[in-house]
Parts: sequence; C-alpha cells; structure tokens
Amino acid sequence: MSADAASTDSPPAGPDKPVSAVEVVGVSKVFNRGKASHVDALVDIDLTIVPGEFVSLIGPSGCGKSTLLRLIANLTEPTGGTITVAGKPARTARLEQDYGMAFQQAGLFEWRTVAKNIELPLELKGWDRAKRRARAREMLELVKLPDFADHLPWQLSGGMQQRIAIARALAAHPPLLLMDEPFGALDEMTREHMQAELLRICAETGTTVIFVTHSIPEAVYLSNRVVVMSPRPGRITQIVDVPLGADRTDDTREDGAFYGKITEVREALRGAEFDLTAKGIEDR
Amino acid sequence: MSSRPAAIAAAVAPPLALGVLLLGLWQAVVRVFDLQPYFLVAPTDIWAKFVDNWSNIWDAMVVSGTNAAFGLMFGAIAGVLMAFLLSRFAILDQLVTPMSIAVNAIPAFVLVSVFNNMFATTSVVPRRLMVTLVVFFVVLVNVAKGLRQVNPVHAELMRSYAASGWDVLRKVRVPNAVPYLFTALKVSAPLSVIYAYVSEYFGGAQTGLGSRISSNISNSKNAVGWAYVLGACLLGLAFYLISIALEAVATPGGAGQRNREGS
Repeated sequence: MSADAASTDSPPAGPDKPVSAVEVVGVSKVFNRGKASHVDALVDIDLTIVPGEFVSLIGPSGCGKSTLLRLIANLTEPTGGTITVAGKPARTARLEQDYGMAFQQAGLFEWRTVAKNIELPLELKGWDRAKRRARAREMLELVKLPDFADHLPWQLSGGMQQRIAIARALAAHPPLLLMDEPFGALDEMTREHMQAELLRICAETGTTVIFVTHSIPEAVYLSNRVVVMSPRPGRITQIVDVPLGADRTDDTREDGAFYGKITEVREALRGAEFDLTAKGIEDR
Repeated sequence: MSSRPAAIAAAVAPPLALGVLLLGLWQAVVRVFDLQPYFLVAPTDIWAKFVDNWSNIWDAMVVSGTNAAFGLMFGAIAGVLMAFLLSRFAILDQLVTPMSIAVNAIPAFVLVSVFNNMFATTSVVPRRLMVTLVVFFVVLVNVAKGLRQVNPVHAELMRSYAASGWDVLRKVRVPNAVPYLFTALKVSAPLSVIYAYVSEYFGGAQTGLGSRISSNISNSKNAVGWAYVLGACLLGLAFYLISIALEAVATPGGAGQRNREGS
C-alpha cells in the first residue's frame, strides 16, 4: 500500500474541528550542526493526521521517531519546515495545552497523591479546586482506578502507574495525545491489556493519538495508520494503512488480516533497512 | 498490630544484649586486673558519679545542647536560603561552590580560635557560629542538589504544560528537595553536637560538656569525666532521634519506599 493512499479506517473530521489534527510540512531536524557530531535526525518529513485518527511511528533506534514526536509537542524546535497542531503553530498549541503527553516512564510526581497528579495540568491551567477534584474523579473512572485517588504512586504497580499517567495526559480533555513508548516497560500481559484499554479510552473520548513504539504487533493492533521510518538520515519510508475496523478486541490479534498487516509492516521495515543494522525492533 | 511490640523487642534485643555484654566485659577487666582509676574506670563507678553529679551534668548538657540547637537552626535556615539563590543564579553557583569546598578544607578548630578572638571570651557566639558554619555547608550542598536534580520526565511534562519557572520551582523543585533537606538534617544533627563539644576545647566559658570533660580529666577526676561523656552520648542520641522524628512527620508513609531516582 502506498504512502498517500486514503485511509479508509479513520473517522471523518467533524465540522467544527480543523481538517487536520496535526500537519507536518517539510520538517527537518539537525543536531550539532556544523560539528563533527552533526546528525540529520530528520529530513523532509511530511505527515498529516486527521482528528480522531490513531497513528503509530515505528522504526529502528535513531530513525527520529521520538524526535518527531517531541517536535510536534514543541519540546524542541525544528531546524526547518512548519508544524501545525489543532490549526495553530506547535508552540501556540503547547502554550494552550492542546495536547497531553505520556512517556515510557509514568513520571508521576512521587510526593503527590494519584488524584493530585491528575490535577496538576489543571492546576497550571488555573482551574478551581472543586472543578479539578471532579475532573480527577472522572478520569480515574475512565482508567478504571476509582479507588486509588488518595494512594501515593509507589503503592501502585507499573501498569497502574501508566494508566494514571494516561489519565493525567487526558485530564484537560486535549484533542491530541502524544505517547512515547508508553507501554515499553510493561510485561507482555499487562501491555496487551493496556493496549485494549487505550483503544477503549480513545473511542470514548475521540482523542487523536500519535504513538511511538518498537513493537510491530502493538503498532498494527492500535493504529489506523503505521508510519514506518528509517535512520541516517531519519525519514518516513512508507505509511501502512490498517483497515481492521474500529472495534478491535482480543480476537483481532488472532485474525488473519492482523497477521497480514504485521507482515506488511515488517517488510516495510526491512525495505527501509537495507544495511541490516536495524536494532531495537521487537517482533512480538 | 499485636506483633508490633514483639517486632520492636526483636529488633532492639540483640544490640542491647551486645552492649550489656561489652559493659560486663569492661567491668570484669577492670576488677580482675585491678586497674587503677587513672588508667581505666569501671562502668559502675562511672554510673555512681553520673548519679551524684546529675544536676551539674544536666546543666552542662543544656549549655552544649543550646549551642548545638542554635547552630543547627541558623545553619539550616541559611543553607536553605543560599541553596535557593544558587539554583536561581548560575553565576553565584560557580562562585560559591568552589569557595565552600575551600572553606570546608579548613580545619574547624582553627576557625573557633579566630572567632574566640573576635568576640568576648565568655560569649556563646563563637561556638554557635562554628556549628552554624558546619551545618550550613551540609544543608547547602544537599538542598541545592535536590533543587537542581529534577527527573527529566518531570521537566518535559512541565514544559508540555507550559509551566512557568515559578511553577516549576513551587511544584517540582521544592518538593523534590524536601527529602534532601531531611537527609542533610539527619547528618547535621549529630554533627552539630560534636562541633558544639569540640569548640569548647578552645577556651571561652567553661560551662559546657566539652569543657567539663577536659577539666575533670586533667584534674585526674576520670570517673567524673566519664560521667560527662555519658551525658554527651545521651545528648547526641537525643539530637539524632529528633531528626528522625522530623523526617517521619515530613514524609508520612513513603520515606523509605520513595524512588528518588524516578523510574
């Protein structure tokens, strides 16, 4: 399937939303420009993501997938090109908290209770206490941990901590969720459970997701589209559509079409990686 | 929680038994070899002198303890304030950090002598200043580290929330530094008592534990000197217990389980 094929699986944009949730045009990122350690982390990246879409970025270490996510989050500035988030420049979108973010480390603040962790982005938005409390309770229901509001992070398992991190990222109801290998540190059982939970949460909230991962099955199971990237220089080599339907269950993982897509992504990665030095791609 | 007293007893009994055993051995050695008091005093004699001189020992404990407490308090306050300044102004950090290392390299006793010359010989200021200085550097180094060493994920999250520098200080750096402050206080508390004693060896008023120990021993009243040493042990222990209690109050539940490396 070619990179510019229309996605049949992504929901249409609503009338009041911008046509694209994220628009990346001609973006490049150079580290240490002009020095011996000069690295073309990303060259000539074009990517448009429509509202409600779930897009995974996959590729070997050094392909710039995390850098691309950080550029969209405006945690770092591009060397060239433009990035638009929710119809605004990426910087404006960050300042207006138009996205939530989750990392491989849950990154909960260990001196705050679970509820207070979820409330933090709302505090910084200036919400009053009652409103924050109510929203934290709502988010704890969403991630199915309603009884843990007053626990401290160390009292929770890794998977529970990651669910709280997702609840925190979505607390302000941002239209966009950026995730950098959020399930990378979890065991396989917890990981599959979290994937199913994430799909449910996204279906309930209509959130657009950009998801960085090393795992081919994870990317295929979750995504409407899988963006395959390759290193030196970091670039997009192929975009694989995954029309497995909106209602994905554990049965989806047994489905022939699911395996077909896994094969397609794997071959795309191999094609991208003719020097055969790829590291860090999990085939599970 | 019926097993709690039992658990405490189980934890306390072995070291207590060892202490009793060592004291018994000490007593036996003195008696069996008939050691003279100017060489080594028997624990029972020390205890007798301790009871006889209790009110004097208590007075000396109050004097030294007050000096240590003042130094601990002022040193901690000054250390925390300076740590905030250093974390705010990088240039100050570059100036003060090498200087603090240099000052730390000066033997403390030299400074006491200098302070004694600066103030009246009966003044308590030189001793309190001495303790303040020692505590100041311990607190400064630790709290500055706590304010600086923010988990990178926390830093990125705060940036993604468009948080201001003030928000990051209030909501991340300060709470991050709290355990570091209590670590510093735990180290400083026994240190402050030790420096309060040591600073009494360099002249000035002869009312504290350190002066009493040295004057009694130089007058060959070894048993009384040892009784004051026992008082000094008790005072040091009291300071240590206070610092542990403070930490327990400040970090209920999570003190031991916290993962400060942030995973």
